[in-house]
Amino acid sequence: MSDYESDGEDFNPQPEVDEDDVAPSDPRPAAADDDEDDAPAAVPQRNNADDDEEEDEEGGEENDDEQDDDDEEDDEDDVVARPRKKKRPRRNMFIEEEAEVDEDEDEEEEGDDDIGDEVHPDDLLEANPADLDDRHHRELDIQRQAQQNIDAEEMARRMDEKYRRREMMSARRAATGAIPAAQPTVDDPPIWVLKCRPTKEREVIFSIMKRIDEKIRAGQPCGVVSAFERGSVMPGYIYVEASTKQDMLEVVEGVIHLFLGTPPASINVKERPDLLRKRRRTPLEEGKFVRMTRGLYKGDLAKIYEVNANGLDCTVQLVPRLDYGVNEDANAAESAKRKRPFGRVVDRPPQKLFNDVEAKKRHMKHLTMVGSGSQKIYNYKGDDYINGFLIKEVKINHVSAESVNPRMDELQYFAAPAEDGTGGIDLLAVQAAQKASQSGSSFVHGDSVEVYDGEQKGLRGITVTSKGDIVTIRVTEGELKGRQIDTPVRTLRKLFRDGDHVKVIGGSKYIDEVGMITRIKDDKITLLCDSTQEEITVFSKDLKRAADSATLGQDSPFDLYDLVQIDASTVGCVIRVDREVLRVLDQQGNVRTLLHTQVSNTVGRNNRAVATDRDGSEIRNDDTVKEHGGENRQGKVIYIHRGQLFIQNRELVENAGVFVTRSTNVVTMAAKSGRAQAGGPDLSGLNPALQQPNGGLGASMAPPPTRSFGRDRMIGKTVTIRKGPYKGLLGIVKDTMNDEARIELHTKNKQISIKKDLLTVKDPVTGNSTDIGGGKFPNRSRGGYGGATPYNGGGRTPGPSWGGGARNGPSWGGATPAANSGSRTPGWGSGAGGRTPGWGGGGDGSRTSYGGATAYGGATSYGGATAYGGNDGSGTSYGGFAPGARTPAPAWGAGASSTSKSNLAAPTPAAYAAPTPAAYSAPTPGGYGAYSAPTPGGPPLDAPTPGNYNAPTPGDYYTTPAAAPTPGAWGGDEDPRYD
Amino acid sequence: MAKGSEDNYIPTGQFRNMRACMVCSIVKTQAQFMKDGCPNCSFLELRGNADQVADCTSQVFEGLITVSDARGSWVARWQRLDGKYVRGVYAVQVEGILPDDVISSVEEQGIHYIPRDGSVNEALPTDA
Repeated sequence: MSDYESDGEDFNPQPEVDEDDVAPSDPRPAAADDDEDDAPAAVPQRNNADDDEEEDEEGGEENDDEQDDDDEEDDEDDVVARPRKKKRPRRNMFIEEEAEVDEDEDEEEEGDDDIGDEVHPDDLLEANPADLDDRHHRELDIQRQAQQNIDAEEMARRMDEKYRRREMMSARRAATGAIPAAQPTVDDPPIWVLKCRPTKEREVIFSIMKRIDEKIRAGQPCGVVSAFERGSVMPGYIYVEASTKQDMLEVVEGVIHLFLGTPPASINVKERPDLLRKRRRTPLEEGKFVRMTRGLYKGDLAKIYEVNANGLDCTVQLVPRLDYGVNEDANAAESAKRKRPFGRVVDRPPQKLFNDVEAKKRHMKHLTMVGSGSQKIYNYKGDDYINGFLIKEVKINHVSAESVNPRMDELQYFAAPAEDGTGGIDLLAVQAAQKASQSGSSFVHGDSVEVYDGEQKGLRGITVTSKGDIVTIRVTEGELKGRQIDTPVRTLRKLFRDGDHVKVIGGSKYIDEVGMITRIKDDKITLLCDSTQEEITVFSKDLKRAADSATLGQDSPFDLYDLVQIDASTVGCVIRVDREVLRVLDQQGNVRTLLHTQVSNTVGRNNRAVATDRDGSEIRNDDTVKEHGGENRQGKVIYIHRGQLFIQNRELVENAGVFVTRSTNVVTMAAKSGRAQAGGPDLSGLNPALQQPNGGLGASMAPPPTRSFGRDRMIGKTVTIRKGPYKGLLGIVKDTMNDEARIELHTKNKQISIKKDLLTVKDPVTGNSTDIGGGKFPNRSRGGYGGATPYNGGGRTPGPSWGGGARNGPSWGGATPAANSGSRTPGWGSGAGGRTPGWGGGGDGSRTSYGGATAYGGATSYGGATAYGGNDGSGTSYGGFAPGARTPAPAWGAGASSTSKSNLAAPTPAAYAAPTPAAYSAPTPGGYGAYSAPTPGGPPLDAPTPGNYNAPTPGDYYTTPAAAPTPGAWGGDEDPRYD
Repeated sequence: MAKGSEDNYIPTGQFRNMRACMVCSIVKTQAQFMKDGCPNCSFLELRGNADQVADCTSQVFEGLITVSDARGSWVARWQRLDGKYVRGVYAVQVEGILPDDVISSVEEQGIHYIPRDGSVNEALPTDA
């Protein structure tokens, strides 16, 4: 080679000529045989040229061999090998210089060699006769050309080098993406889609990898060039790039988790790039809000604290969910720790800021305090807690910055005051978090908008349509006026002008507020609320032009004055309902501001709740009470909760007119239903002494106390109704209250309430009204006597007979007037004049009244006395009796002293006055006695038993009406006698 | 394509230790990177250098591709997997940011580094 190169200097012109210039090369072939000199010279040069330009091994090899032979052989070979190229030189014959331009091309050069051989004879002929001068000229030219050639070669070489380098570079760049990635073509192997078990995509890919490795190791061709999966983007699918389906199936067959049930389909060429589309992750920035995507805190809002430089990890600030070991199983084996709960932990502790006191209780050993001073840093179980927040380093794929949409109640934790004390929520971060979620849907047709970012910045228009994230607007100003253009939502903001009436449609706690715009700064707009006359600032995207007025708090589950449960031991009364928060007056009288979510439920009103005021009288809901002392506030009780009263007074302004006070600190002013007040329960009925004077002194003959004891005997009785719309209907008393009875009607299945005094008791068997309209039951309301009837009833059976007896009585009825004077006259009168005599009896036959004594008899021993009375026909007997009835005795005695007539009046009061039950009971029996006195007809038979009748207790006394007969009995005895 | 390393296969249990090279996106386990380095990016000198492995490989990646013939595969070309890359499993998308000094050393190798985290649209040319 070196030789040739050195020679090449001289002879280069020739080869150059040969190469470039087809015509000049003609002589050579001819000389191949004849001119040894020329040929060898020419050939090597040619070879040289070849070498230079081709840098092929061939050239080198040729050069090593004998030049001539080689050349010829080469030529011949070439001829054989490339017969087609013979013709080309001829066409180029007369083109000299252009050939030089071609010299870069290897093939051309090779062709030239061939040509040289072929055309040689002619050239030789011509060459020999050619003039030397001409040759010299040509040599000169050739030399010049050579000079140029060298330059050209040089240049070519350089070019070539450069080109190659660039090619290499571009290949590399292609690999690294400097040039656009190659779109797939039909020539590329098809991509087949296969189904696999979701979540097992990666396993399948590695299984395929393994198969491919095995095949290649075994030296077999592998038809599958690649296979890929897209994980969460296309779960359950595997894509295999293989030239033929058969190749693919061969590799893929039997791979676990791969489903070959459906025939694999090839994916359209156009769609292939979509298979590998990458999604740009929303960049994380410090202070932004994100959501956790997995782990204990899945779904929780977190704030980015720091983003690591490698872009793979970030530190987030979280509200901890700790139970401080409360639910820990102390006996759990250590190995149990290995078990990981699947997916989301079912019972995760609630979000609560870190509390070192709690942690110390059970987990002192896990707790260390790192920081000091104002910022306390705790390390608890390997995690850091700063200012109550958990500071946790997580991988960026464990958080999501998309559609974060922080809620108000989540943000409240992060609203904790900052170091500088300014506090509050970082509005920008919130905005950023919410902006991510902004879509075209926040724009409606007709909104006037402005493009505030991007190339179209400043453009204003009116929205026409919105589709996904693209909003079409019709430009209203500027050069493009009238044109419709599409803009991405994120570059748009709604355009308002001062004074516009707008409504807040989302994004803040001011939702649904309506107001007038007073100030606009960037995309923050301040408006004056119609409802509160406050100025609020919101983002323009959250506004909509509005004509309507505000409707507030419509979606709160709580109402004003609701009693709500705040925590297990605290309730409160709602005193204000805002959109996001409630103001609640709790039972301690503190006003709390709570989010709706912090209030568990309404407690509701317990209408049976009772409290006692400071006087001991009961307080129920709706009673009007007044504070004792203090501010002397007064109001209506709306809730009673464990001795605390929530009282409402519309005249108070504070706390919506509600205040809380202890029940023992108020005095009842008025009870709702006119219940007895202030006196406590009316116990007078229990005290005969109190009752007596009432009846007795009031000239009334002791209408027996209105209270009965025990079960009302009316219950269960068959009655008819005497008045009102139900008049004449028959029913059964099911229940009684005070003066009313619940009657179940026989006619229809209905219960009605009727005043007792409108009822007539009937005998359920006979239906007999024989009871002279007489229920034997004391009708208290009227006063027993007034309702004489009952008394009559008292003598029920005897009644009639009595009638007869009464007739008899008249004789003693003469006494009646006296009895009448006694009082009840009307009652008695109605009963029967005769009856009165009972009293009258008191008068005339004081015995009768003594019959009353019978009641004494009630005192058993007195019974005996009764007998006395009975026996004593005369007033004297009184005296005799008196002693019998101890207490009454004196009174009686007094009465006795008086004339029998005067006694008439006397005895009664005396009897009444007697505080003892005996005395008390006495009079009535007297009455009864009076009654029964007439009864002699029947009862007399029983008469002997009076003693038996006497019920020992006064209570029984009432029941004793049966006892009536007793007196009757003996009255009977008497009567005859008197008569 | 250069010969594939013998341990392209990663058992399921090791999936959690997988990392992807941020330059060539090949997926291997942390231990493999430590032991063998990156088969395509030897200049990263990952072998035995835990810090470098942490800096230049990423645990956050998405989509796996098994490549047996990078030259003949459109997928490989689309993924900018050089024809000389070894047979193996690669990631479709690799998150993470290479340290600046690593980027410059990559560029020194004549490789125009383009992040594989989806921040660059592959359908558009980029400045060389």
